[in-house]
Amino acid sequence: MGDFSSVLHLCEGDQHVIAATQHLVKALGSSKILNDDLRKILSQLDSHLSSMNILTTESRGPGFREVEEQFRCSEEKIMGWESRQSFIWDCGPLEASQYLKSVHDIQTLIEGFRSLSANEDRKHKELLNRAESILQIAMSKLEEELIHILVEHKQYFEPKYMSFRSWRRDVLYDESFVSVEDIPFEEESQRNFCGSESEEYILDLVDPHVIPHLKSIADIMFASNYHQEFCQAFTNSRRDALEEYLIILKVEKLSIEDVLKMQWDSLSSKIKNWVRAMKIIIRYLASEKRLCDQISGDFGFVSPLCFVDISKVSLLPLLSFGEAIAMETHGPEKLFCLLDMYEVVADNLLYIDTLFSEEAGAWVRIEFHELHRGLADTARATFMAFGNAIAANGSTIPFPKGAIHPLTKYVMNYISTLTIYCNALNVLLKDHDTADSNPPENGQGSSSLTYGHLACHLRSITSTLEFNLDCKSKLYKDAALQHIFLMNNFHYMVKKVKGSEHRNLFGDDWIRKHIVKFQQHATSYQRATWSLVLSLLRDDGCAGSSSASKATLNEKCRGFCIAFEEVYKNQTGWSIPDSQLREDLQISTSQKVVQAYRNFTGRNSSSIGEKYIKYTADDLQNYILDFFDGSPRSLQNSRWKEPAWF
Amino acid sequence: MRATDNQGSFLNRISIRRNQVVSMDGNHEQELEDLELFQKHVADRFSDLLSSTSDDDSVLSIAWLRKLLDTFLCCEAEFKAVLLMGRDPSQISKPPLDRLVPEFLDRVVKALDVCNAAAHGVESVRHYQKLAEIVVAAFEQKPIGDGQVRRAKKALNSLMLTLEDKEGSTHKSAERTWSFGRRGAPSNKDRSTAGNFRSLSWTMSKGWSAAKQIQAMSANLVAPRGGESSGLALPVYIMSTIMVFVMWALVAAIPCQERNGLLTHFPVPRQLGWAQSMIVLQDRIAEEWKKKKEKNKLAGLLEETQRLERLGLSLIEFSDSFQFPGEAERLEEVAAQVSELSETCKKMEEGLVPLQQQIREVFHRVVRSRTEVLGVLDQGGKMSAPTM
Repeated sequence: MGDFSSVLHLCEGDQHVIAATQHLVKALGSSKILNDDLRKILSQLDSHLSSMNILTTESRGPGFREVEEQFRCSEEKIMGWESRQSFIWDCGPLEASQYLKSVHDIQTLIEGFRSLSANEDRKHKELLNRAESILQIAMSKLEEELIHILVEHKQYFEPKYMSFRSWRRDVLYDESFVSVEDIPFEEESQRNFCGSESEEYILDLVDPHVIPHLKSIADIMFASNYHQEFCQAFTNSRRDALEEYLIILKVEKLSIEDVLKMQWDSLSSKIKNWVRAMKIIIRYLASEKRLCDQISGDFGFVSPLCFVDISKVSLLPLLSFGEAIAMETHGPEKLFCLLDMYEVVADNLLYIDTLFSEEAGAWVRIEFHELHRGLADTARATFMAFGNAIAANGSTIPFPKGAIHPLTKYVMNYISTLTIYCNALNVLLKDHDTADSNPPENGQGSSSLTYGHLACHLRSITSTLEFNLDCKSKLYKDAALQHIFLMNNFHYMVKKVKGSEHRNLFGDDWIRKHIVKFQQHATSYQRATWSLVLSLLRDDGCAGSSSASKATLNEKCRGFCIAFEEVYKNQTGWSIPDSQLREDLQISTSQKVVQAYRNFTGRNSSSIGEKYIKYTADDLQNYILDFFDGSPRSLQNSRWKEPAWF
Repeated sequence: MRATDNQGSFLNRISIRRNQVVSMDGNHEQELEDLELFQKHVADRFSDLLSSTSDDDSVLSIAWLRKLLDTFLCCEAEFKAVLLMGRDPSQISKPPLDRLVPEFLDRVVKALDVCNAAAHGVESVRHYQKLAEIVVAAFEQKPIGDGQVRRAKKALNSLMLTLEDKEGSTHKSAERTWSFGRRGAPSNKDRSTAGNFRSLSWTMSKGWSAAKQIQAMSANLVAPRGGESSGLALPVYIMSTIMVFVMWALVAAIPCQERNGLLTHFPVPRQLGWAQSMIVLQDRIAEEWKKKKEKNKLAGLLEETQRLERLGLSLIEFSDSFQFPGEAERLEEVAAQVSELSETCKKMEEGLVPLQQQIREVFHRVVRSRTEVLGVLDQGGKMSAPTM
């Protein structure tokens, strides 16, 4: 506008020039090839010229009276609303556009007067004063209308529609050594959100039909240089709306001290809520940004400033809670909560950077990066501490029955839960293992996964576990039970790895090696238990038929039976929880033992007295099926007290 | 940046010296020297702070607060070096540090909450600034007419309300009718224009009180005596005192949740060299606080806020008596006030966001140090014999 005024001053008094210019402007304005900006400028110039045309005439002249008349008309319109209780936009579009027209007229008039500031005419000055006064009243009214529309037409979304990256599964983890079963995927989102950039990601926080109303208020307030009032009212209303939404999302304002003192139970539910709220809020903010752009996007830097002012304060409690969680060192079972938090921040970090890309948003960007770093450090430290915790898990008494140790279960279940966070952990650990010769990354193929950072760490965790189990096995006095224990535990590890999505992380090589390991322990068990027992049945090359050898044979047979009974008594109490593994071991034991016994008795049937053959080969075979059942039995008892047992 | 350079060279010196001494026994003398140096630096920095109030920036101006936070960051870095760098972890898990360090960390956590409250409070101050800017925009338009005066007065009234609002008087202001309302308009319409928005109310949990927080931070702050005063207990005490002082100054300057009963004095032994300037500053701020408290004006002692308040009152007076076209003399006076107001707004515009960022920097720094100290404590707890 300033550009015109100097020109206009030169033209002052020259009605002909003004008339000619106005003619030209009108002619230009009717041209169809103009773009909107140019058309706008021309129309402004036109109204300017009209007011000049009138104002340059004497204040007592007919032109001035016309202006006064027009002013009075607008003034009446504006003041009329002052005595009414209702809101303009509630009364329909016609009322609104008439009101806006009146304000626009006043504004044009003021501009005209202002460009003629050299004119000292008292009447002019008074009229300008009145006009400014009316304009102020109108602006005040528009400010109220703005707030009213924003409040009345704000829209909130059910949080369940707001969570876009659907949670793959809700990870539950228990502090106790309890197996974690996968909970079926819970697709929370009903819509299909393809990504943060998609339009669907953005929601209408204000009923779309009022956007043009808001925009028209913005336009006229900016044109009247009341943009500060507009921004204040807009920012404050939207900030209140966000604040309300945070209450809906149950985001609590907690001091850091409170969080640090909180019990894990309540903390973990707060963490879950935080993760959910964070996801929703980021989506909300994207929508907020669009709203700002829709309404004040035409006014340059205004929109990003408003956006930052709206969001900043409300983010503080969320950020502060995150920081508080990241401040503490946590037990391994808390890693999953930390990873949930880490993931939601990491996944949205780039998006936050884009949302707050302007200078004004630096604060938010920095805060999110700090939070990201803090959570990453804590999650990583917690993960690392897990290995140490395994190593440090010592026992003083042997685990009963040689069964699967809770530690093995815990670690393997923990690992399978961990692999849900495969991507996040790979990134976290990559930052840590800088010294590593960089393995191929980002590949989805099994081979590259196997060499990923997480995979390396997982294998090292299982090695630690193996070492620990090895130590634990030493607590058994019976070497055979040591092997059963290790076989059981290694078998469990293999089974867990093989039957899961994360077998790729360990790789076939690992699986093969560990199958060999538990099989070796099975073999070693047989050797440790049966070598001695079966050696009793050996012929010793004294296959003569002397009475001495007959006595020896009888003795051998008796000895074998006693030894078998002893083994039976012991090993029925041992446990192989896996039925397949148990059967396999029973079968191979049977093959070895029963075969040797059958050979022995067959070969020496003539020499051994009937009463020394306490058991038939079939008896033995059946007895072996009692082995590793976990409930100790005694053969003497079962033979005499339960004769009809088979 | 000057301060950071200093700090860098100091850290190097400590680490080099520690590395040299560690192998020998009897690094006690070196340690005494480090402590001496630390005290000297603290004294120097605070005396700089004190002297800077005499020339350009008055106490509790935005610029001064930023210097204060800089000072805090420098002292903190040096403190951490003295406490941890190259040190055998078992040393800080022995008495009396096994008690003093956890107490210190407890104070740290409280300071974090104060930082949060203050960062939020700066947002309120920015709100004052925005309102003041409207006043400037209105009065800078010439000629000043009824429209401008009304526009300015609307903003001024909101400003005064928000300034008053900042001491837990939310209920009062809601009931209060605002002197320059829209005549005849229903009062619920004024809700928005009164500048009384919920979102700028407090950010902390219910019942959290900045005053109590400061009180708790200073509660067990006792200068080490006897043999302790030459050991590591001293820097822990010094840093605690600095922290309490800085947080206290922030709370006094910036609106924070619940400041009723804010301490005006916490004990710093007068005979300690490093504390001299701090004591002077403390007395000055406490004096201001008492004055303001008597007048029940507690929007904060921030120099810029006070200026807004003073200019605002005078401009309201002008607006109340304004009759178009106004007396030339009076208009000139107003023009001068408006230019002062505009100047203040400019300072706020330039300084508030960086101040807020700096408060967050303090926050993050303190969090990191806490983690480090906890790490060392953890190590120290596990180790029985020193390993170097």
